[in-house]
Amino acid sequence: MGRPGAVVPEEALDRVEEALGPWVEKHELNFGAVDLVCKPENLVRVMRTLHDSERLGCAFFTFLSGVDRSELGAGGGGLEVLIHVYSPEHAIHVTVHVPVDPAAPECPSISGIYKGALWHERETHEMFGILFPDHPNLTTLYLPEDFEGHPMLRSFKLPTRVIKEWPGAKDPEEAAAGGR
Amino acid sequence: MAMTTEGPRRAAREGGAQGRLQTEEMILNVGPQHPATHGVFRLLATIDGEILINAEPVIGYMHRGYEKLVEQRDYRQITNLVSRMDWLSGINNELPLALAVEQLMEIEVPPRAQYLRVILCEMNRILNHLMFFASFGAELGAITPTFYAFREREDIQRVMEATTGGRMHFGFFRPGGLKEDVPRGFVDDALQGVRQVIERLPDYEDLLVGNEIFKQRTIDVGVLDKEAAYSYGVTGPIARGSGADMDVRRDEPYLVYDQFDFDVCSAPNGDCFDRFWVLVREVGESARIVEQAIEGLPPGPIMGKVPRVVQAPAGEVYVRTENPLGELGMYLVSDGDRRPYRLKIRTPSYNNVSALSHVLANTYVSDMIAILGSFFFVLGDIDR
Amino acid sequence: MFDITLATWQILVIKVLVILTVVPVGALVGGYAEHKVMAHLQHRLGPMYPGGWHGWATTLADGIKFLLKEDIIPAAADRKVFSFAPAAIMVPIIMIYLVIPIDRNLVIEDLDVGLFYLLAIGSLSTIGLLMAGWSSANKYALIGALRSAAQLIAYELPIVLAAAVVAMLAGSLSLIDIVEAQNFPFALWPPGIGFVAFLLFTVGAVAEMTRVPFDMPVAESEIITGPFTEYSGMRYIFSHMFAEMGHMVAFGGIAATLFLGGYKPIIPLRILEYIPGVFWFFGKTMFMIFLFLWIRPTFPRVREDQLQKFAWKFLIPVGLVLILATGAWVLYV
Repeated sequence: MGRPGAVVPEEALDRVEEALGPWVEKHELNFGAVDLVCKPENLVRVMRTLHDSERLGCAFFTFLSGVDRSELGAGGGGLEVLIHVYSPEHAIHVTVHVPVDPAAPECPSISGIYKGALWHERETHEMFGILFPDHPNLTTLYLPEDFEGHPMLRSFKLPTRVIKEWPGAKDPEEAAAGGR
Repeated sequence: MAMTTEGPRRAAREGGAQGRLQTEEMILNVGPQHPATHGVFRLLATIDGEILINAEPVIGYMHRGYEKLVEQRDYRQITNLVSRMDWLSGINNELPLALAVEQLMEIEVPPRAQYLRVILCEMNRILNHLMFFASFGAELGAITPTFYAFREREDIQRVMEATTGGRMHFGFFRPGGLKEDVPRGFVDDALQGVRQVIERLPDYEDLLVGNEIFKQRTIDVGVLDKEAAYSYGVTGPIARGSGADMDVRRDEPYLVYDQFDFDVCSAPNGDCFDRFWVLVREVGESARIVEQAIEGLPPGPIMGKVPRVVQAPAGEVYVRTENPLGELGMYLVSDGDRRPYRLKIRTPSYNNVSALSHVLANTYVSDMIAILGSFFFVLGDIDR
Repeated sequence: MFDITLATWQILVIKVLVILTVVPVGALVGGYAEHKVMAHLQHRLGPMYPGGWHGWATTLADGIKFLLKEDIIPAAADRKVFSFAPAAIMVPIIMIYLVIPIDRNLVIEDLDVGLFYLLAIGSLSTIGLLMAGWSSANKYALIGALRSAAQLIAYELPIVLAAAVVAMLAGSLSLIDIVEAQNFPFALWPPGIGFVAFLLFTVGAVAEMTRVPFDMPVAESEIITGPFTEYSGMRYIFSHMFAEMGHMVAFGGIAATLFLGGYKPIIPLRILEYIPGVFWFFGKTMFMIFLFLWIRPTFPRVREDQLQKFAWKFLIPVGLVLILATGAWVLYV
C-alpha cells in the first residue's frame, strides 16, 4: 500500500460520479469496489471514459462475463453483462453491470477499448447467448462449433444432478440424523 | 541484438537478385499434441519460411465447465474442484474462494491460520516457478536445469505432502481457516527446504541467465509492451517483466502479507529474458517470505467461528489474490444458499494467453517456442 | 611368427568384417557413454539395469528392441526415397572409418589422399538428411531437413579450413603421414595457430553432427525429431541413433588423429613410447568423445539464424586468417 496515486474507495466513488454521472443508473461501493449499473447504449462511452480519464485511468482489464439473475431470489432480474476493470495507478476497482434483454440479448463490444475483451466476449457469447454485434471475430472459444444451447444460462440444466441427487449425507446435520 | 524480420521478408517479396522468388505461406498446426505447449493447446500459425506471420491460439480442449459445475456444489466441494485449475499452484487456487466466503460471512480467521496459509501458498509458488524454470530451459535445449529444479521441488513437495496429504491437489483450505493443523516437524522441514532453495538459487540463475546462448535467444524476443499488457489484462511474472509494477500481495494485502518484507521484482523490457528473470527472482522472494512467516508463526486455533453449515449470505464480492501465474479472481454472487449462485473465476493464464497473438506476430519460428515457454501458462487455468 | 600370405580377396573380406564390427560396437559404446555421462552431469545415475552391471547393455537392448518394431511408412510418403534415406546417411559415415589409423600399421586403408577422402565422403550424408525430410510428407520433417541442409553446408567450411591447416603443416594428405609429422600434437604446436584450428574443428564437428548447441534440425522440443519424425524401427535407429553415435566416434578419432597426435604419445618422451599406440589413440578419442558429450547437457540451443551468422561471419573468416598464418609459418619457420 501507500502507492503515490492510490485513493481510498470513497474518493474513488466521488471521482466516478463526477466523470460518469448522467450515464450510469446506479453507483455505490461494494466491498471496496465501485459498483455501476449502466445501460447497453451508454456502455462504450462509460468504458471509454473509465479508460481515458486522467483521474480514473482504469487501464487494466480484469474480466468480462455474464450473470443470469433469473433465479436469484425476489425480483432478481434478467441477464446481465458483468465487467470489471482496475486502475493500477489509482488503485480503483470498478464493476459495471449491464442489464440486457433476455429475449434478444445484445451488448456493444468493448474490444476496441480493452483488447482483453476479445476472448472474454467470445466466451460470454457462447455461454450465455449474448450477442456482441461489433466484435471482430465472434466464434466459439471453448465449445465446439456445433454445440447447441448456451450452457451457463440457468435454464440449461446439468444432466447428471437432475437425474440423480448427490449420494450420501451432504452436511453434518444429515449425517447426525442418520443419513449415510 | 534486435532481430527483425524486415530484411528477409522484403527480400522474399521483391525477389532478390535473380528476380522472382515466389514463397508461399504455410499453415502450421502447433499442437494440440506438441512437446513445447504445456498441455493440449493449439496454435494455428501462418508461416512464411522461417517467419511466423501470425499465430492464433485455439483453446478449449480441456474445458471442464467449472463455472457450471460449481453451481451444484457447496463450498467445501468446490475447494477440491477449484484446486485443479492451475494444477501447479494447487493451494493458491483454493484461497480466493475461502477469502470470498469469509468476506461475505464476515468471519475472522485466526492469525495462526493466516500465517500457515501464507507459508503454504508461498511454498507452492516456489514449486510453480521452479517447474517453469525447468520447462523453459528444456524448451530452449538446455536439458540440465530441469533436473536441478526438480531436486529442489522434491524437498518442498515432501513437506506439502506431510501436511496436506497431496503433492499436487491439496484440498486444505476451508472458509474460516484450515482443515487441520500442521504436523510435528513441519517448521524444521519447511525451513530447511526453503533455505536450500535460497542457497542454491544463485547457481541456477547463473546456469541459464548468465549463459551467452540463452541471452541471445531471449533478449529482445517476444516483446510485450506495458500498454498492451494492461489492455489484455496480463498479470503475474509476465506483466512484471513488461514493466507493470502490479502485485496484489503488495497493493491490496490479503492474509498477513502486510507484515512481511519482500520486494516485487519487475523488469522494463518485456522480452523473454525479463519475464524469466522476474520468475527466478520471485523464487528467492517467496523463500524469504516463508522464512519470515515461519519465524513469526503464532500458536493458536486454526479455524475461526464458522457455523456447521457454511452458507454465505446474499451479496456479491470480487476477491483477487496473487496466484503464481498472475491475478486469480473470484466474483461470487451468493443468494444465501450453501452453493454459490454464480462464481465467475477469473484465471490469470486466460488473459495472458489472449495476448499471445499480439506478441507472436512477425517473429521467427524458433522464437515462437521461446515465447511460448516464457508465457508461463497452465492449460487447466486457461480452459477451466 | 606365422608365415601367412593372404590373397587380395581374403584381405578385403577381413577388412570389411572389421569395419562392420567396429562401427556398430563403437556406436553402441558411444551411446552408452552418452547416457551415463549426461546422467552424471545431471545429478542422476542413468541406466542401471539392462545387462546387470550399471546397465552396460542399454544400447544393445535398445537396438534389439528397434529391430522388432513395425516398419511404418506414411501413406503419403515417397516410398523409394524414404526407404533409401537411412542408407544414404549411414554409409558415408561407415566409409569414414576406412582411413583412420589406430596404430602405425593398423589402418584399413592408408590412402594418399586420406584427408581429402574423409572430408568429401563425410559430407555426403547431408543429402541423406534432405531425402529423409522431403520424402516424409510432413511439414515438420521438411523444416528440419531444410535447417539441417543449411547448417551442414555452413559448417563444412570451418572443418575443411582447419583440416587444410593440418595438411599444410604436415605437408601431406595421408593420415598416417599427418600423425608422423606430429612430434608435438598440432593442437599445441605451432602455438596459437594449432589451438585455434583445433577449436575451429571441434565446433565445426559438433555442428556437423547436429548436436547441442547446434541441434536446431533435430530440436526435439520444437519439431519433434526434425527430418526423422516419421521414421520408426530399424530405419530410425540407422538414420538417427547409429548415424549420430557413429559420427561422434568417427569425429573423435579424426580430431585425435589430426590435432592430438593420433597413436603417438602426447609429448615425445622415450618412456611414453613404451605404451602401445593403440592405447594413445583410444585415450585421445575417448577424450574427444567426452568433450562432445560434456557440451550437450551444458548449453541451450542456438537459433538457426544465429547459427548461420556464427559460421559465416565468424568461423570462416577466422579459418581463412588461420590459413594465411599457417602459410607464413610453413614458409618462414
